[in-house]
Amino acid sequence: MSIQQIKIRTGNQMIAEGALHAGCQFFAGYPITPASGIYKSMIEELPRRNGVAISSPDEISALAYCVGASARGAKAMTATSGPGWSLMIETVQYALMTELPVVIAVVQRLGPSTGGATQGAQGDILLTEYCTSGAYTIPIFAPSTAEECFEVASLAMFWAEELRTPVIILSDKEIGMMSEDVNFSSLVSSPVNYRKQPVNNDTDGYKTYNFKSLADVPLFSPIGGEHKTTITGSAHDKGGSLQKNSPETIEVLRHLQKKITSRAEEMAFVKTDDDPNADILIISFGITARTAREAVKLARKQGMRVRLVNVISLFPIPEKLLKKAAKGVHTIFIAEENLTGQYRSVIQHLFAGTIVIGINSFGKMITPNDILGCITL
Amino acid sequence: MTTVQPKTFLKDSVAFPFCKGCGHHHYVHNLDRALSSLQLDPKKVCIVSDIGCIGILDSLFVSPHTFHTTHGRSTAFATGVELADGILNDSKLKTVVVIGDGGATIGLLHVVNAALMNVDVTVLVANNMLYGMTGGQHSGFSPLEFITPTTPEGNIVPPMDICAMIKSCGAEYVTSISATDKNLTNVIADAIAHPGFALVEIVELCTEFAIGNNKIDGKTIQAMAEQHNAATLPATFKRKEFCEEYKSKVLGHPSKIKNDALTQRYISSLHGTRRWVIAGTAGEKVQLSSYLLMRAGILCGLHATQKNDNPVTQGSGFSLSEVVLSSEEIYYTGIDVPDVVIISSAEGLKEVTANGTISRSNKQTVIIMEDSLPEITTSARIYRVPLRSMCTPQRATTSAVAAFIARELVIPIEAIVDSIQMHVGEKVSLYQDDIKKLLPLLS
Repeated sequence: MSIQQIKIRTGNQMIAEGALHAGCQFFAGYPITPASGIYKSMIEELPRRNGVAISSPDEISALAYCVGASARGAKAMTATSGPGWSLMIETVQYALMTELPVVIAVVQRLGPSTGGATQGAQGDILLTEYCTSGAYTIPIFAPSTAEECFEVASLAMFWAEELRTPVIILSDKEIGMMSEDVNFSSLVSSPVNYRKQPVNNDTDGYKTYNFKSLADVPLFSPIGGEHKTTITGSAHDKGGSLQKNSPETIEVLRHLQKKITSRAEEMAFVKTDDDPNADILIISFGITARTAREAVKLARKQGMRVRLVNVISLFPIPEKLLKKAAKGVHTIFIAEENLTGQYRSVIQHLFAGTIVIGINSFGKMITPNDILGCITL
Repeated sequence: MTTVQPKTFLKDSVAFPFCKGCGHHHYVHNLDRALSSLQLDPKKVCIVSDIGCIGILDSLFVSPHTFHTTHGRSTAFATGVELADGILNDSKLKTVVVIGDGGATIGLLHVVNAALMNVDVTVLVANNMLYGMTGGQHSGFSPLEFITPTTPEGNIVPPMDICAMIKSCGAEYVTSISATDKNLTNVIADAIAHPGFALVEIVELCTEFAIGNNKIDGKTIQAMAEQHNAATLPATFKRKEFCEEYKSKVLGHPSKIKNDALTQRYISSLHGTRRWVIAGTAGEKVQLSSYLLMRAGILCGLHATQKNDNPVTQGSGFSLSEVVLSSEEIYYTGIDVPDVVIISSAEGLKEVTANGTISRSNKQTVIIMEDSLPEITTSARIYRVPLRSMCTPQRATTSAVAAFIARELVIPIEAIVDSIQMHVGEKVSLYQDDIKKLLPLLS
C-alpha cells in the first residue's frame, strides 16, 4: 500500500494551502490564537509564490489592506478569531457594499470579548452571518477536518470571486490547531477563477456597479485599470455616485442580496452519512460534526436508524437539502458547541411538524456520549 | 498609445459642496493643479478619501479612480492598493489619500504604519482643527483654548503635531503649509512625485464652526503651518520604498519548507483506537514527543491526530499533548478515557489532574510517570520510573513513549525509532539506550 502523499497538517495550514491553490495573491493579517497558523503559513509561503503576505498593526488594518488590494485586482484573504473579527466588521460591511471580493477565515474561540484564547467554541455563527446593517447574506463555509479546510478555502475563494463579495470560512480552535494526517492525493478543490472583467474597450460606458438583472454580478475593473472606477461604501447608483434613496440606489441594495441568494442552491453543500430508513436526523457542522459521526457509529451499533448531515455551507442556509434530509424522521437533533443553539435558531423553522432538539455545550467539546445520551432518551 | 493629458481632472462646471470661504476650495483646486502639472495619466491616479467634508471631493473628480472609504481608514485602504500595485503589478499607480484632521485622529495608526513602511502613498491632511461634518466637535488637532461646540470653555488638551509625529516614524517627505499658500500646488506635486510615503498637512479654516468664537485668521494659520514645518525637507531621500524593498528582500525567495510527505513503511497490529495523553513541563519536548508518536503511527498506515495545550506564555508552566491513533478514520478527537498517560514532571501531573485526565482513567489505562512525583489515586495501572534521571528531562517523554511501544509491540519499535531518527539523526542512539533501560521497568 502506498501513501506517498500523507502529510501532517493542521486545519489552519490546510486553509492556507487551499487559498494558495485557489490563487490567493495577497494576505494581510494580525496574529491571534487560534488563527495564527494561517497567518504563519501565508507569511512563509505566499511570497515564495510571488504573492504578498503582510503583517499589519491590527485587524482593522489587516482587512482594509486586503480590500484595498482587492480593489487593485488581487485575490485577497485574511484570518482572525473573535476579538479580531469584531474589529473587522466595519470593513467587511464596506467590502460587501463596494462588491470587493475578499475571504476571511474566522477561527472561533470561546467568547465573549477576549474570552478563552485556547478554548474551542462554535459561538460566532450569528455574529458572523448577521454582522451587517441590513443582515445581508454573507456566504459562510465551515470545515470539520483538515482536508475539508483545503476544500472550503478553495470554495470560499471561488465564491468570493464569482459573486464579488466577502466570504467567510468559519473554522474553530479544534479544527484549526489540531494536527492530523492529510492525504494530499485526495484533496478536493473548486475551479480556480477570477472575477469577471469587461471584455470590450468601451471605457466610457463602464460603470463600477452595473447590472441588468438584480442577480447579475457587475463586471470588475481594477483601480489602475483601463476603466475609471468609482468605489464608495455610501449608498450609490450603478455608477458609484453617492445617492440618498433614489430608486436606482434601492435597486443596487436589493441587488447586493439578490446576487447571493439567487445562487444559494449552487452554494448549498452538505455531507450526509445516510441511513435511508432513518427516523432520527442529526444536523451538525465543524468540529461537532466529527463528534456526531462517532456518535452515529455507536448508535447504529445499538440498532438505531440515524442520518447525519454535516453542513458545510452554513449560509446561505441550504434549505432544500436540509428539508430533504428531514423527510421521514420523527426527531431532529442539532448539535453545536454554543450556549443557545445559534444555528438551530435560524434553521428550525424549516422543520415544522417535526420535533427539533438542541444538543449544546460550551467551554468544552461535545462528546459522542453527550449526543448518544440525547438521541437514545 | 499616447495618452492625452487633461488640463483638469475635475468635472466641468461642477459646484463645490463646501461652505463659502472654506479652505477645502483651495485644497481641491491645488490638488487638481498638482495632478495636472505632473502630467499623470488619470488612469494611473487613485484618490482615496473617507468620511468628512473633504472626503466628498471624490465626486468632483471626473477622470482618476476614486475610492471613498470608511472614517479614518483611507490610509489603510490606500496602503493595500499600493502594496498590490507596487508588488503584484507595474507600480505605476499614484495613490493620494485625502483625509481631514478628524479622520487622521481616528485613523492615526494607519498613517503611522504607512509612514513606518514607507509605502508610496501621499497623505494630504486637511487640518481645519475640528470635525466639520458632524457639528464642529474638537479633534486631536484642535489648538489649546480652541472653542468648539464640544469645548465651549476652550480646549484644554494640547493638539498633536502630525508632522513631528510622522517624521518620528522615519517618513522623509513631511511638511505643513497653509491652504492659501501660493506654493501649495508645488508642494502637493512634489509630495505625490516622491517615491515613498509623503504627508502634507494643509492648514485651513472651517468658516462654519471655527470662525466667530475663535481669534483665528490667515496669519494664525500661516504661523501654525510654519511651526509644524520647523524642520525643512531633506536635500536627498535615503529610504527605499516599501514595495521595492519587499521585492528585493522577500519576494520569490526559495521555500524553506521541506517535502515532509510520509510513506508507509511498517505494519501496525492496532485495530481500533489508542488515545495517549503526554504531560510535562514547557521546554522539555513534550509536544515534540507527541508529534514523533503521531508520525510513527502514520508510518504504519494509521490515522492520527495531535492536540497541544500550554499556558498563554508558552515557554513556562505545563505542556500537554493528546494523540489519537486509529486504524480507522478519526472522527471524535477528544479523549474521554485515555489508554496511555505519560507524566514527566510536577507541572504535567498538576495539569492532568486539573483537566480530569487522571479521574477519567480506568483499569484499561496505563500511566507511566516520573517516580519522584507524589502518589496518585486511580484504578489505572501505574508504572513509576525515573524518567528524568534515566533519560534526561529533554528525552523523558519521547523515550517513555518509545519504551511503551517497545513493550506493547502494537506499533513496531522500528517505526518510533525511525520517526525519532528523522528528527534527531544519529542521536537516536541515545533514545535507543533509554528504551533498553526503561523496558525492564515497564514489565
